Amino acid sequence: MVTAFDYVPAIVLLPFVSFVVALFLGKYLPKKGAYGGIAATAGSLLLSIWVLLAVRSGSAHQETYWTWAEGVGAQPFTLEFGALIDPLSALMLVIVTLIATLVHVFSLGYMNDEGERDLPRYYAGLGLFTASMLGFVIADNLLMAFMFFELVGLCSFLLIGFHFRQEGPPSAAKKAFLVTRFGDYFFLVGVVAVFATFGTAAFSGAESFPALAESAINGTTEGINTFGFEPTTWFTIVGLLVLGGVIGKSAQFPLHTWLPDAMEGPTPVSALIHAATMVAAGVYLVARMYGFYVLTPTTMGIIALVGGFTALFAATMGIVKEELKQVLAYSTISQYGYMMLALGSGGYVAAVFHLTTHAFFKALLFLGAGSVIIAMHHNENMWDMGGLKNKMPVTYWTFLAGSLALAGIFPFAGFWSKDEILYEALIHAGSEPLLFAGYAMGLLAVPVTAFYTFRMVFLTFHGNARSEIARNPEPVRWNVKGPLSVLGVLAAVTGVINMVPVQKVLGLEGIDYLHRWLDNEWGGIEGLSSHHYAEIGPYSSTYPFGTEVATVLAGAAISLALALVGLGLAWKLYNVAEPVEHTAKLGGAKELLYNNYYQDEFQVWLANRTRGVSGNADTFDQGVVDGVVNGVSSVSLVSGDRIKRIQTGVVGNYALLLTLSLTALLVAFAILGGWF
Amino acid sequence: MVPPEYYLLLSSGLFCIGLFGILTRRNALYFLMSVELMLNAANINLVAFSFYWGNLTGQTFALFAIALAAAEVAVGIGIILALYRNFGDVDVMQAATMRW
Repeated sequence: MVTAFDYVPAIVLLPFVSFVVALFLGKYLPKKGAYGGIAATAGSLLLSIWVLLAVRSGSAHQETYWTWAEGVGAQPFTLEFGALIDPLSALMLVIVTLIATLVHVFSLGYMNDEGERDLPRYYAGLGLFTASMLGFVIADNLLMAFMFFELVGLCSFLLIGFHFRQEGPPSAAKKAFLVTRFGDYFFLVGVVAVFATFGTAAFSGAESFPALAESAINGTTEGINTFGFEPTTWFTIVGLLVLGGVIGKSAQFPLHTWLPDAMEGPTPVSALIHAATMVAAGVYLVARMYGFYVLTPTTMGIIALVGGFTALFAATMGIVKEELKQVLAYSTISQYGYMMLALGSGGYVAAVFHLTTHAFFKALLFLGAGSVIIAMHHNENMWDMGGLKNKMPVTYWTFLAGSLALAGIFPFAGFWSKDEILYEALIHAGSEPLLFAGYAMGLLAVPVTAFYTFRMVFLTFHGNARSEIARNPEPVRWNVKGPLSVLGVLAAVTGVINMVPVQKVLGLEGIDYLHRWLDNEWGGIEGLSSHHYAEIGPYSSTYPFGTEVATVLAGAAISLALALVGLGLAWKLYNVAEPVEHTAKLGGAKELLYNNYYQDEFQVWLANRTRGVSGNADTFDQGVVDGVVNGVSSVSLVSGDRIKRIQTGVVGNYALLLTLSLTALLVAFAILGGWF
Repeated sequence: MVPPEYYLLLSSGLFCIGLFGILTRRNALYFLMSVELMLNAANINLVAFSFYWGNLTGQTFALFAIALAAAEVAVGIGIILALYRNFGDVDVMQAATMRW
């Protein structure tokens, strides 16, 4: 019988086919391959929904497609490609394919209608990007995940640098590639460490590395090589190594510097990077191997602390930015900080919930920004906008829905997910002081987020128009408004999938669908459930406000109040006819924020400090490695130069040579053959 | 019956005359003729041994070689014409421009 799971490879292959088609045939196709991309991603979306329904009806799936190396190493292990379909990956497949489809449709308006050149290359890049991310999502082992993780990085490089004829994009692409590569270096070492320790990198099953690690912590270290460390210490080291890749990809401090520069890419690509593909990959990876991370409290504490710090740190930088997409870039870093905080504080479901809602509202905000950019003839400076509210109502209302979600205003999607993250951090903070620091920073970031979000909304859409273009913006078509409307609705209502506070306060059982979903209530794989993670996790719950209900209510009230404070402040300062730059009053602090805390300068400074090492490496490379290669080739070159001189081109010489050689041959035969 | 040694002497004499021509002459036409002499030295051998063993295969082979030689001359004359057009001369030692 044919089941949805037989079509799992097709989900990945369809966008890949669209990549190949767009690359080789794109220039002959109408719309340069856009329709192929839309058809492929929409097909993947339908298949993903089918897979989701199959998981909903109580099954899960794990299959190995191809074993490409067997019995490698002293401790023989196999390297495979396979698919792991459980509630988490099924949900992620739907998110990624949905966003990718909408981004493809939006690109019709943003790229085709704007008369961009090289469109086949663009659509090929989008197709490969989507395919790589989908391959990463279904990966059933860490090595396969790593490979697709790298492909995702490569595609982001290609797409960020799409406008390679200008000066900024190639440099931004290079930066994104190098910074994430720095993180991935640790990830690669981590993958090798996982293989060396467990002899397997599978995510699920009794022989998977999280399961083996769990039994090792419980005392049975058979078949596991921890290189002389205590299991907990060693697993902390391995977990932190893999976390390096996560920090690079999900743009966490201190490897967040690539993301704001990545705004040089086309806006639909930014939407894809921020909502569904590149940046989401890091958080998804931690969620995927969460059974491994929850075993080591130190790693969890570090994840929570990094996440909380990044959430606050990035939010403060968003306050002073002048360009629409820059504000959104810092909000992405900040929101992924929240997800890391959730993961680090044991809120597995909260993190996945925020990943979902963020995917919708951030894709919405970027596409909305794209719509504004079309209208503004590619001027992104918010100080040149203003008053767009009445001229582009669809964009305004959807953008507003996305902003309310981002700011965490009740009842939009972001409120529910952000509130749950803070709640998880709060109730677990009793057993781990690091979590409390994370919680405090996460809470502080709430009003800052609301403030910069609504500063952006008011500057862009409210007040009087501050430039000629803003008075007569270019209209946008259905292919821009359509995706915006879909995402606008989703950003407003996605919260209903997981209304935990409502359930707890009103005592309604069973409306926390996402909790039940990720708890394998309908179907799933043994050992990959939120229930299991909570059992083996290091945290216990304490309720600082007395009962559970009181804590839920107090937590939600505090975060909502703080968000409203930020929103109110933005309203007061910027919702006026002629807003002025209030941030100038911050003085030196504004300079500090505007220059991103001089993080870029700091990294350049660090790079200069290590110039000696890289210089030596370069000398070694040029002298020894290249020297050997050049030496070999110069031997051939010189001898060839000498030997070619026997070719004189004079027929007589050849004839003479032939005759003499024949004679010599005859004489040799005569002597050796004994004729004399 | 003439013993085969005589035929062999004749053919090797003919071959040496041809070889001498190739090694000493610069004119392409002499060159071509010398090549023909060497070819015919080989034909004489074929016919001689065919006669000696009473087997016609060698003679058939010689007929083919003669036909091939005719074709070869046609090609050779063509090359000589091209040589004359390009260099204004039929001196084979001058046409040395196609080396490295």
